[in-house]
Amino acid sequence: MLIPLLGAILMLLLPDEARLVRYAALGVSAVPLLLATYIYFAFGDNLDAAALSQDVTWIESLNVGYRVGLDGLGFGMFYLTALLTFIAVVASWDVGENLKQYFAILFVAELGMLGVFAAQDLIMFYVFFEITLIPMYLLVGIWGDENRRQAAIRFFIYTFLGSTVMLAGFLAFGILGGTYSMEALNAGGGLSRTAQIAVAAPILFGLLIKVPAVPLHGWLLAVYVSSPTSTNVVLSGILPKLGTYGLIRIAIPLLPEGVEPFLPYLAILGVVNVLYGSFVAFLQPDLKALVAYSSIGTLGFILLGAASGNAVGLNGAVFQQVSHGLYSALLFILVGVIATRTGTRQIAELGGLAARMPWAGGLLALGALAAMGLPGLAVFVSEFMSIMGGYEAFPVQGVLAALGIILSAMYLLYMLARVIFGPIERPAYEGIRDAGPVEMAAVVPLAVLLLVLGIFPALLIGVQQPAVEAVLSAIGGS
Amino acid sequence: MAVTGETFLALLPELVATGFLIVVLMAGAFADRSMGLVAGLAALGSLAVFGSVAVLLIIGFSGSFFGGGFVVDSFALYFKLIVAGSAFFAILAAARWSGHTGDAGEYLTLILAVVLGSILLVSMRDLFGLFLAIELATIPSYAMVAFDRSRRESAEGGMKYLITGVIASSVLLYGIVLIYGVSGSAALADVARTFSADLSPVAVIGLVLLISGFAFKVSAAPFHFWTPDAYQGAPTSAAAFLSVAPKAAFFAILLRVLLEGMPEAAPTWTAVMAFLAILSMFVGNLFALRQRNVRRMLAYSSVAHSGYILAAFAALQGQAVQTAFEAILIYSAAYAVMNLGAFLVVDLVGEDTKSFNGLIKTSPAVALSMLVFMASLVGIPPLSGFFGKLWIIIAGVQSGSIAVYVVVGAVVLNSVLSVPYYFGIVRNMLFEEATGPVTAKDGSGALRFSVYALALATALFGLLIIPLSALARGSGLL
Repeated sequence: MLIPLLGAILMLLLPDEARLVRYAALGVSAVPLLLATYIYFAFGDNLDAAALSQDVTWIESLNVGYRVGLDGLGFGMFYLTALLTFIAVVASWDVGENLKQYFAILFVAELGMLGVFAAQDLIMFYVFFEITLIPMYLLVGIWGDENRRQAAIRFFIYTFLGSTVMLAGFLAFGILGGTYSMEALNAGGGLSRTAQIAVAAPILFGLLIKVPAVPLHGWLLAVYVSSPTSTNVVLSGILPKLGTYGLIRIAIPLLPEGVEPFLPYLAILGVVNVLYGSFVAFLQPDLKALVAYSSIGTLGFILLGAASGNAVGLNGAVFQQVSHGLYSALLFILVGVIATRTGTRQIAELGGLAARMPWAGGLLALGALAAMGLPGLAVFVSEFMSIMGGYEAFPVQGVLAALGIILSAMYLLYMLARVIFGPIERPAYEGIRDAGPVEMAAVVPLAVLLLVLGIFPALLIGVQQPAVEAVLSAIGGS
Repeated sequence: MAVTGETFLALLPELVATGFLIVVLMAGAFADRSMGLVAGLAALGSLAVFGSVAVLLIIGFSGSFFGGGFVVDSFALYFKLIVAGSAFFAILAAARWSGHTGDAGEYLTLILAVVLGSILLVSMRDLFGLFLAIELATIPSYAMVAFDRSRRESAEGGMKYLITGVIASSVLLYGIVLIYGVSGSAALADVARTFSADLSPVAVIGLVLLISGFAFKVSAAPFHFWTPDAYQGAPTSAAAFLSVAPKAAFFAILLRVLLEGMPEAAPTWTAVMAFLAILSMFVGNLFALRQRNVRRMLAYSSVAHSGYILAAFAALQGQAVQTAFEAILIYSAAYAVMNLGAFLVVDLVGEDTKSFNGLIKTSPAVALSMLVFMASLVGIPPLSGFFGKLWIIIAGVQSGSIAVYVVVGAVVLNSVLSVPYYFGIVRNMLFEEATGPVTAKDGSGALRFSVYALALATALFGLLIIPLSALARGSGLL
């Protein structure tokens, strides 16, 4: 857990030599990844958290403790965080100056993100949740493109508003429940239905801003578009999941009765996300903006699955968190590659790249196919499960969300046709090179995981299943 | 009333402060060439006060002296620690500036005089003794504000501060006299007997005048008009010190008067406090948004922070009394480290927002410290300001009163409102290009040390909070 922090300090101490800094950063980010891999194989499908948890009282008078531990719900995202940070380091080729500060800040963000997925205490969850805020603000604000300042502060204010409101909800919950330990507060912590509803409302609001659920998504586009590629990886791969994870980890199992009246609306929000994201993505002239909206769209499936309250839907939602992270990171990196090669992100100016960049083009196609939920890839499994679960609970929303898949296929295929197929748009593109070894190293693991998890979803579902069942027993569902 | 050895022990911090005050004044007069010696003596004096308070705290000394008018309890000692600690850093910061002007002796004597007044004040249990201690703390502070003879604003600020301060004192005194008239005694224990749930009109007027007088002193809206001018005009170290140490003492004694002197009248004064809190938060933050001068901005920010502390006063009711009480203690300490630090950075860098441009390049450590202070003033975990707000929100939620819920809502909203101006500085430091090199002022080693030490204390407040919260819990007036 503390490794990223030590890594951050190490980064600042290193001499200012780009090559050395890159290798050192790679080494630092590999450590949590290896640890997470070890945990997977050592504890596998029985993440009982006992061996991996800590519980130290922190502020006695408030009954706040440093309670952390991994379980099946968090493990997938924990692993993904470690993986995507590693990949973000690999993919940091467009970060020119102040490299070591960049990595130092990235590792502070990683600390916060890993912490969120391991937190077992509401206050710890909030603290880690907020630790990510300033690093992300700085990553966008310092290393972003020309619109970065506006984007960064807007991101900050939106999400800070959300999280502060969420904190008020947490505190009210903790006071009424007498503790902030998630374990002790399971299934309502003895709160009445009215109290649960009152507490759930601010918590949901805060979490949904972070996702972001339409119509709370005002901060998203500018930030995604302005960020450097490697920040995008983390920004789209992990950060929205802080919101959805909170939903699945805190809102639903801890406040089952409080969340219950909101669930239909949550499902509607999920559908709105799916449809809105897809429609707007259609209209984007900018490749990166298209991917950003596509990402909003697929996040909707997580909301739908989480709202379903049944085993299939929840499993789908937890799974979708991971598969969304994989494919969106893949797409953002490839967009970055294409933009550096061609000097543009405008779809209208691109064309025929497959002929000159077979690898990058092929992987872009793979990512796009994954995004539209092609069977055999991870996203298919999780979206399908989310829709199934959602359909069972809310038939109308389920059908509408399924429509979203068709829409996403339309705009993604359209994008592919314009960008990588067809005649070469400009003579300048004749001479461009394909993705180099470093870039391939960044994307290939993602593509492989998309495939592996698509064919053997049990690898992940096996880990998350017991935890999902625990959530289900908390909400009294089946 | 025998003066025993115990009495001397009770007065030890005050006696130490008096002794050093005389020594520093003499040294300034007779050894006016060696400013280092004078500054060293003054710093030593503040440390000696700190040490003597700590000793009293450790041996668990408590008692009531001089006919019950002077009390030593852990509550008073807690605030004496804050005052002495912040005086130490303010003296370090002041040494350079006052060394330049050649008035170190007088200036540092004034700081020690304010320290003496403030530490006396928190021990007062008699309304007239209280008034005298307030005057002892404020009269030197008028001189401190007007001390910079090279700038016209200093004289202007000092004049405004003097006039409003005198009005405030007379309002306060009038309130005290009315309360004395109603209860027939100035001792808080006697006042408590007459201030029952239903108050006579005279008593209400007395109470309101008393609170108004204090509102002037702690720069709560609508009595805050002197603050920006005084802080802008004052030497920065004076503004830094005055915004922290005497203010904490004023809050402390107000808390004592209200809890010991008129607990039965809580419904009346919590309502007044709620009104003042909401007004101060909004006025402070909205005006701070418009400032281009960092000192004026911090002045309005201090109005807003007074509002946050007053919010805790408003929550001193029902179930929440204990938590609200702790909130005031913890917020005072948290505010002391972060605000003192922020002012000292201004002393180091300059008061124009533009002078912060590109600071991360020219002096990264100072910029990083300022980032910590700004984030902490916003209330980002795990920095000190977060813990203050945490306690306030908890207290507000516990109180079970609708009016206090509104206040808590205002606290949450205002935390977000304050982001743009605090992070305007951060933006300038990190995202803008440097306009010119920051002039490394000579002899600023002590100042830099203070900044780094305070930044460290702000950043690691999560550890400090463990003893602090235990101390706050133990120092009950209840």
